[in-house]
Amino acid sequence: MSRIFLRSILLPATLVLLLASTGAQANDKLTLLLDWFINPDHAPLFVAEERGYFAAHGLDVEIIAPADPNDPPKLVAAGKADIAVSYQPQLHVQVAAGLPLTRFGTLIATPLNTLLVLEDGPVKSIADLKGRKVGYSIGGFEDALLRAMLARHGLSLDDITLVNVNFSLSPALLSGQVDAVIGAYRNFELNQMDIEGHKGRAFYVEEEGVPSYDELILVANPERMDRAVLRRFLDALEEGVQYLVNHPDESWALFIRGRGELDDELNRRAWRDTLTRFALRPAALDRARYARFARFMYEQGLIPEVLSVADYATILE
Amino acid sequence: MSLSYAGAYLFKGLDLDLLAGQCSALLGPSGVGKSSLLRLIAGLEQFETGGKIDIGANASAALANPSAPIAYMAQQDLLLPWLDALGNVMLGARLRGERPDHARARDLLARVGLADRENALPATLSGGMRQRVALARTLMEDRPVVLMDEPFSALDAITRLRLQELAADLLRGRTILLVTHDPMEALRIGERIFIMAGRPALLSEVPPPAGTTPRDPADAGFLSHHAELLRRLRAADAQI
Amino acid sequence: MMRFIRPLVIVAGLVLLWQVIVWLTDAPHFILPAPARVAEAWWVHHLTILGHAGVTLLEIALGLLCGVALGVSSALALAYFRPARRWLLPVLVASQAVPVFALAPILVLWLGYGIASKVAMATLIIYFPVTVSFFDGLRRTEPGWTDLARTMDASRWKMLTRIRIPAALPALASGLRVATAVAPIGAVVGEWVGASAGLGYLMLHANARVQTGLMFAALLTLAFFAVIIYFIVDNGLRRALPWQPDKLPAHQQE
Repeated sequence: MSRIFLRSILLPATLVLLLASTGAQANDKLTLLLDWFINPDHAPLFVAEERGYFAAHGLDVEIIAPADPNDPPKLVAAGKADIAVSYQPQLHVQVAAGLPLTRFGTLIATPLNTLLVLEDGPVKSIADLKGRKVGYSIGGFEDALLRAMLARHGLSLDDITLVNVNFSLSPALLSGQVDAVIGAYRNFELNQMDIEGHKGRAFYVEEEGVPSYDELILVANPERMDRAVLRRFLDALEEGVQYLVNHPDESWALFIRGRGELDDELNRRAWRDTLTRFALRPAALDRARYARFARFMYEQGLIPEVLSVADYATILE
Repeated sequence: MSLSYAGAYLFKGLDLDLLAGQCSALLGPSGVGKSSLLRLIAGLEQFETGGKIDIGANASAALANPSAPIAYMAQQDLLLPWLDALGNVMLGARLRGERPDHARARDLLARVGLADRENALPATLSGGMRQRVALARTLMEDRPVVLMDEPFSALDAITRLRLQELAADLLRGRTILLVTHDPMEALRIGERIFIMAGRPALLSEVPPPAGTTPRDPADAGFLSHHAELLRRLRAADAQI
Repeated sequence: MMRFIRPLVIVAGLVLLWQVIVWLTDAPHFILPAPARVAEAWWVHHLTILGHAGVTLLEIALGLLCGVALGVSSALALAYFRPARRWLLPVLVASQAVPVFALAPILVLWLGYGIASKVAMATLIIYFPVTVSFFDGLRRTEPGWTDLARTMDASRWKMLTRIRIPAALPALASGLRVATAVAPIGAVVGEWVGASAGLGYLMLHANARVQTGLMFAALLTLAFFAVIIYFIVDNGLRRALPWQPDKLPAHQQE
């Protein structure tokens, strides 16, 4: 009786348990640092997480939101995290400064940055900025962007006054402290001002002389990255984008599940406006486009030399 | 006059007559209310119920009135640390907005033996020196009535003896009420001696030894007076 | 001679400790740069750094002036007017309880992005220690002195100006020392929220451009000036209050 018990029940049970436990241990852990607080720009990540795509690819992704957008790439470069959501312009500068970073995927494939003014304000075109105040946030490359945009209209940075308003771009514009702000996102600040009852007018940087670039990218440390694991990550992320594009309303419900504080009018509008900007193929890389932007940064004096794209961007096979 | 603290009368219906121009010493055990009595007279405390203190011929001068003619000297020298000796001596005039008499102040400092310390800050002076500056300050006030609350008790024995003599000399002719816990001091410089005892406290007078102040402790009869005072103080202490 | 050698030795020791930490932790240069890197950054950018330092120093100086003026007058009001105590004291405590970072954006919105908001921030931080210490000093005047003054027929005004205020000056001095130590914090926090000049702004700017050497150079410059200001104020206070007993050798006391 006991022998039969052992063979038929206990042994298989133990095997199943063992297999199950090793199966659980087979999930690779990844720490991912967002660029800032959770917002609709991060939709594909959360859709992938909520739909279980990461788990299905054997990944256990821990998503962390930092308080200072400057930290995540440094932490990844220092080996304290695996993935950071960062910005393409910053990547060029960081790699030039010697940080071991490489872009392996894209989250948002268009610029989001705009030069924002009040619709019923005195600035109707960029040429009207002459002699006016422009607010900016530290951390962007606003002076470079502005220089390029102004040059097209025969102006230089000396014709305007730059005022650092840090992160309160809309309040500064709404209160009249500045006549325009740069660094405002077309999906965010535009909507924010609309909700406040003041329509804004946006000048899109890529239409005004700045080469196009990826606003949000995924970076990792080339010396530490596990290429196979990150490839699986991108596969899961692509499934997330797919679902998002096919089922935007269901995706919104997933985005705010368990994060009730994100459910507000601004986020809802931003969600709608960001849908067309996500990278549909996160792993894909257009090398010539990156090289073109690197040349722009070099001409603006932001980086000392133009490196080859392979030095800072990777395609994971 | 009456005064009570925390519901219990310290003294009630107390009568005290001070003879003008004499130094009256007030003895008594700790806690009997000697200092409180002095502070009442100085106007630093309020009467409980009806109290009247007459000074001189002016019968309507009540002592809640701050312009009463008293000078006050306490156990601590109360020298202001940011003023030098001269500045401290002239304090009264400065506080009243009057022009201080520099010459007189320097003369008084010389009389207490501190002519060479006019510009010294109190922190650089010894305890005895500081109390001498306080004495000069008291003299500077030039008031007919001087109230002294154990002014020399914090000093060492020799300095105390010297200061008692100095005070007796310089304050001669003024009406002094000297509160002290030291029967020796009372015998040396008191022209009248009172003992305060009991709760509520009452005053009883003790005849002083013969001789002008400051008296010499080596005099005959001094010791027996001392013994008598000690006996009565002990009894008074037992009453509290 | 020793007075100058000692601080130099301390600084050298700290620099050595810093280098050892960098070696031991193998910290990457973009997180904790080695002293040599920071020194190089300082050398290359010293004019920029000093220019921004001037702005921050101005903010600190003005903040100290306003904070001390407001603090002293508030303490006097609290000590002398009972209604002031009821109304002002809770405001005073609240001003300290609210974290400065939360108030900073509001101040910037009201006062603009110029120097006014930074001075306001510094003033806010300085106000509390100055007021509380001076108020405390005024309240705790040695009772013997006030007794003596009363027997000398001092008026209320003379009591205040000749006795209470001088007696409270050592307490005020303590408050001023604390205020001087925290003033740079106020100025820098103000700059972080919205400024185009100053060491705080420079630090943020350098951090964003991954110029960690420059960031640390600016930080150390700020620390250096903060220490210098503290010693100047401390010395000034000691000279202004020569009667403080701790200055005298023991054998001269009773």
